Amino acid sequence: MFRYFVQRLLVMVPTLIVISIAIFVIIQAPPGDFLESYISELQSQGEAVDPAKIEFLRRTYGLDLPLYMQYLKWAGGLLQGNLGYSFEHSLPVNEVVGDRLSLTVVVSLASILFVWVVSFPIAVYSAVRQYSIGDYFFTFLGYIGLATPSFLFALILLYFAKEYFDISIGGLMEPQYMDAPWSWAKFQSILSHLWIPVLVIGLPGTAGMIRRLRANLLDELNKQYVVTGRAKGLPPGRLLVKYPLRVSLNPFIADIGSLLPELISGSVIVSVVMSLPLTGPMLLDALRSQDMYLAGSFLMFMAFLTVLGVFISDILLALLDPRIRLGAGATK
Amino acid sequence: MNERTSSDGASAPLPHYVSPAPFDPYSVERTTPEQEKIYLASQWKLMALKFKRHRVAVVSAIVLALMYLAVLGVEFLSPYHQDTRNVQHIYVPPQPVHLFHKGEFIGPFVYALDYKLDMSNLKRTFTENPEKPLKIRFFCRGDRYNWWGVVPGDLHLVCPPEGGPMFLLGSDRLGRDMLSRVLYGMRISLTIGIMGVAVSIVLGIALGGLAGYYGGWVDDIVQRVIEVIRSIPHLPLWLALAAILPVTWSPLWIYFGITIILGLIDWTGLARAVRSRLLSLREEDFCVAAQLMGASPRRIIFRHLMPSFMSHLIASATLAIPNMILGETALSFLGLGIRPPITSWGVLLNEAQNINVVVLYPWLMLPIVPVIIVVLAFNFMGDGLRDAADPYR
Amino acid sequence: MKRRDFLLTSLGAGLVMGAPSAFADFISSPFFKDAEAKGDLPPVAERLPKNPAVAAMPEIGRQGGEIRMLMASDKDTRILVAYSYARLVCYDRDYKLVPDICESFTEEEGRIFTFKLREGHKWSDGEPFTSDAFRYFWEDVANNEELMPTGVPKILTVDGKPAKVEYPDALTVRYSWDKPNAEFLPQLAGASPLYIYRPGHYLKKFHEKHQDAAKLAEAVKESGQPSWAALHNRRDNQYRNDNPKLPSLDPWVLQNKPPAERFIFKRNPYYYRVDEKGQQLPYADQVVFTKTDSKLIPAKAADDSDLQARNIRFDNYTFLKEKEEKQRKIWVRLWDDGRGSKLALYPNLTTNDVVWRGVLRDVRCRRALSMAINRDEINQAIYFGLGVPGNNTVLNFSPLYKPEYTTTWATYDVDQANQLLDEMGLTKRGDNNIRLLPDGRPMIVIVDTAGESTEETDVLQLVRDSWKKIGVDLFTKPSELEVFRNRIFAGESIMSVWVGVDNGFPNADMSPWEFTPTSQQQLQWAKWGQYYETKGEAGEKVDMPEAQKLAELMDAWRQATKSDARAKTWNEILAIWTDQVYTFGTVSNVPQPVVVNRHLHNVPEKAIWSWEPGAQFGVYKPDTFWLDENRRLSTVADQ
Repeated sequence: MFRYFVQRLLVMVPTLIVISIAIFVIIQAPPGDFLESYISELQSQGEAVDPAKIEFLRRTYGLDLPLYMQYLKWAGGLLQGNLGYSFEHSLPVNEVVGDRLSLTVVVSLASILFVWVVSFPIAVYSAVRQYSIGDYFFTFLGYIGLATPSFLFALILLYFAKEYFDISIGGLMEPQYMDAPWSWAKFQSILSHLWIPVLVIGLPGTAGMIRRLRANLLDELNKQYVVTGRAKGLPPGRLLVKYPLRVSLNPFIADIGSLLPELISGSVIVSVVMSLPLTGPMLLDALRSQDMYLAGSFLMFMAFLTVLGVFISDILLALLDPRIRLGAGATK
Repeated sequence: MNERTSSDGASAPLPHYVSPAPFDPYSVERTTPEQEKIYLASQWKLMALKFKRHRVAVVSAIVLALMYLAVLGVEFLSPYHQDTRNVQHIYVPPQPVHLFHKGEFIGPFVYALDYKLDMSNLKRTFTENPEKPLKIRFFCRGDRYNWWGVVPGDLHLVCPPEGGPMFLLGSDRLGRDMLSRVLYGMRISLTIGIMGVAVSIVLGIALGGLAGYYGGWVDDIVQRVIEVIRSIPHLPLWLALAAILPVTWSPLWIYFGITIILGLIDWTGLARAVRSRLLSLREEDFCVAAQLMGASPRRIIFRHLMPSFMSHLIASATLAIPNMILGETALSFLGLGIRPPITSWGVLLNEAQNINVVVLYPWLMLPIVPVIIVVLAFNFMGDGLRDAADPYR
Repeated sequence: MKRRDFLLTSLGAGLVMGAPSAFADFISSPFFKDAEAKGDLPPVAERLPKNPAVAAMPEIGRQGGEIRMLMASDKDTRILVAYSYARLVCYDRDYKLVPDICESFTEEEGRIFTFKLREGHKWSDGEPFTSDAFRYFWEDVANNEELMPTGVPKILTVDGKPAKVEYPDALTVRYSWDKPNAEFLPQLAGASPLYIYRPGHYLKKFHEKHQDAAKLAEAVKESGQPSWAALHNRRDNQYRNDNPKLPSLDPWVLQNKPPAERFIFKRNPYYYRVDEKGQQLPYADQVVFTKTDSKLIPAKAADDSDLQARNIRFDNYTFLKEKEEKQRKIWVRLWDDGRGSKLALYPNLTTNDVVWRGVLRDVRCRRALSMAINRDEINQAIYFGLGVPGNNTVLNFSPLYKPEYTTTWATYDVDQANQLLDEMGLTKRGDNNIRLLPDGRPMIVIVDTAGESTEETDVLQLVRDSWKKIGVDLFTKPSELEVFRNRIFAGESIMSVWVGVDNGFPNADMSPWEFTPTSQQQLQWAKWGQYYETKGEAGEKVDMPEAQKLAELMDAWRQATKSDARAKTWNEILAIWTDQVYTFGTVSNVPQPVVVNRHLHNVPEKAIWSWEPGAQFGVYKPDTFWLDENRRLSTVADQ
């Protein structure tokens, strides 16, 4: 087991290196650099750009260096825990990400919770009553969420929330609480705004979740031990909860890998449409304006969480599944 | 991981034994023709039989078949050409089709429109003129088109009536018929899903197959590549790939480029499925049997393994198509996808993505309906296929 | 009553600058009551300059309240610098240059400029604003190689020779050159102006010359900046307005540091302007920017903004108007648009495609293409007939306007256009009746667009339809803004679509640079502009006689010292511009909707919306806008 652990850990290193190179290449792929996009943006609004300042910035931030040097500079900084400097905001990256991260985690947690609360009962119901009207109806409902393009759905919901519930359009709270310290009123304001993004972000996820849970549960329900249990007269509720349900949840441990990065990324498109102060719009802006360090370091952080998540779920699976736990050391 | 088991360590061979009793091939009960149909059916036939039991899936399959059929004749089906403008009729709400005029049946018709421009808030209003019914024409000559860009023609299934326009789904900001635009958009959106999935299937089978069959370092490399791609969110991948499409490409090539982008990002899921399927199938009895009988690896892969995971693959692919279609709308939203003058559902929805439309011209959001229908249909069909492909249920 | 008379006569000029102080008392905003009582702030009379600027306005208001606006990004804090429009010299409502921050200025022979500052004028931190601020800029910033690696700003040089800057006393500054520099004053009054002063007392802390090396090194390290110069430039962003600690002369001072979801700008206790009653301006105690995605701004404007035109487009009018009628909280006004054309097509005269270059350089082709645009249809279909169809040129509210500038070669005439193209010898036709270029290719114009709005696509669609009638086809090529520009700069595109000239209503004293080959940003001759900008290092030399003539006229305008001489060169420039049809305008003066809260006063009913000149709201002096309702002020958490 220990060997497996170490082996798994060591594999992460080259993976992360490759990922960092991939991320760097991806950010550099669009033509031009941050300053060029900065100039175009200013000039497109008829504003003058001081060439002296541009030249100054180019030299200061090393944008005139060859690409591999820029990469080494960035990667070297990352190793020392220095996430670099955001050109766009003229601030260190960690300060830019700052508050957005915690809000993103809040929204994502709420969405994940929503997905579970909605999909769990539906999945159980439709597995137990396979091909019934209820099964079709609820699956249909779940899939509607999956099928609706979120950017349009978000806008419609925003408008109607304003018209009928007087919830100010966009954002996560009423303006007076923005950047204010935490308070009960701020918390309430966030709660009243939160349901819209949670609904929009969560709905597409429920369909997938329903489908997987239902399939897993069906697999279990058809197994011999369930039939035996039923034959021996176990009450249906007990029979369902005691074993099949638990076993069918097992594969979700494998989900932790994708859950971790999801927590901090949120949903980019929905956040953009709804003007949410989350990391998604920040990332999109950074990528668009080629704010290299901000985009790169943030992506690297997410990639790291993904790799870490996969690692954790592998280890957990190994711990839970004796075949893997034992199989890793001994031969069959 | 549990699939990877070593094949050595078998116990000592059994002593040779032959039963002296004569062998009666009919010792088993004779099968009825119905049973025979099932017992002797090929895997595909079994799948078809099982699929038919999932009613919603069958309905979905029919809907999709009809839609793809419609893709062939978009020019013929739509009343107008997608670019035909009608500057006098901007933002016309959907016109209902009537059958009875003043209690009298006169066949499908629409009423003529009265137009009023409110200059104080710059709003165009159209009202039906109940005195002027205009009969819709069928199988008629209308806007000229080139069928699939090649064959010229002007025959339409329905045409606007003489003396007035017909906007069954309303018209947009240049007075273009939304119905026609949705139909033209359907061609792009439905094919983009198929093409994207085709790209990802090819990549998925090739790389997943390599990894699954050879294992070892090939497997390791493919696994790492998949891991790297999955660790990077789709968004930057989209941005980067869209950025490297050459700017000199024509819109049509950009369209192909985008299908490839969608495919390039999506193959990892399929590759994983193929790989794990191969790994487990490799250990199945029939495969071991074939190996023992001395079949070549090629024969094993193509004759034995391929058919048994193909069904699964088709199911996965079917479920991947709606993601492609939605991916295309998301790309359009980000300004990376197909852009006008090419019309796709993504383009239409993206144009509808503003507050004016939500409040004043809600019919421009109608393209959301076909998107939902198609995505639902693919999902149900995919579910049905997957259930049917599973031999154990 | 003497003062009243004086004010009445000067009302026409909009604002009275440097009027002798005739106030018994200056009135401070209740906002500062506590600070004044505690002694944290000196009384208002000591905070104001001895001769404050006196603002005239339609109605005298009262101090207090906050003005809310919606902005799309952190970088938009700079927009308030434009809106505030506190400039050394500024345009008044008649677009004449008048003193603003300075008490008075003189101009001799168009080359010697002397500014007289206000006695007792202070920065927002209470430090005096004197000629030292100018000295710091000139000696320690403009002429510091590390801060300005490319040398003194180009506008402060004439024929490559930098200005001579003198500081005869604490309140006087003089800039002089050997030859006239007509662009100097307009630059100072720009929406994104040239700042020739700096809060040296604050910035010295970050300057190598003035700060102890060890302390500076520590500050650099702490800020995470690579060098002291980077740190200095970072702190010194008068225009970008992202440093709450930077002393300012603006009416409102930034309180919180980007990034944030909301920016609060608090009134400057040392602001130099008062109203006619002696109340210190600005009226509003605060301005608040709430960050909102640009697409949501129209939806939110009616509820969450008191003054909004940015990110509101013409087609949002209907929606906003319905809100106005339903909620009765706002007014939606339509202002004139100051751009030469809402959208214009730019044939690239310096394209790399030799055949197309030859064709486009033939004036007959340009005239034909321009005449084949059905501008009336565009105006009706997209702008409800509210715009003015015509060329991309000066508008009818410019003193330089002549009707023929708008209409020549811009009236829809397919026959004449066809005839012109036939004359050129482009008579061969190919598929779909499209003309063939001399080398046999079909005459398909690929128009580059930055694809920013559906409006652009729509206009091009209409142009395409009418061009087909003269045997010319049009395809659009959308690309990202950067790629779009780079393709034009490199000569890869043959035509592009963009907004018209920025300043559509110049007077003779404003620079005609937009009409002459002087900048790479001019999409019709990017390479010529680049050649000019880089002094011949890159780009191409102007090689068309008419354009050459324009360049010469530009020089003549710079050298002219009198308005009428300048007007003469302007007229010659516009005549060539009209005759040669370098760009194809579509529709101009498409109104800009402006959302104004009903509680906000002094916002003009009808005005011109323009970035340059006028700084959008700037020229209407938002420091005189006032609110007639009491509102709880937003507060900012200590950062």
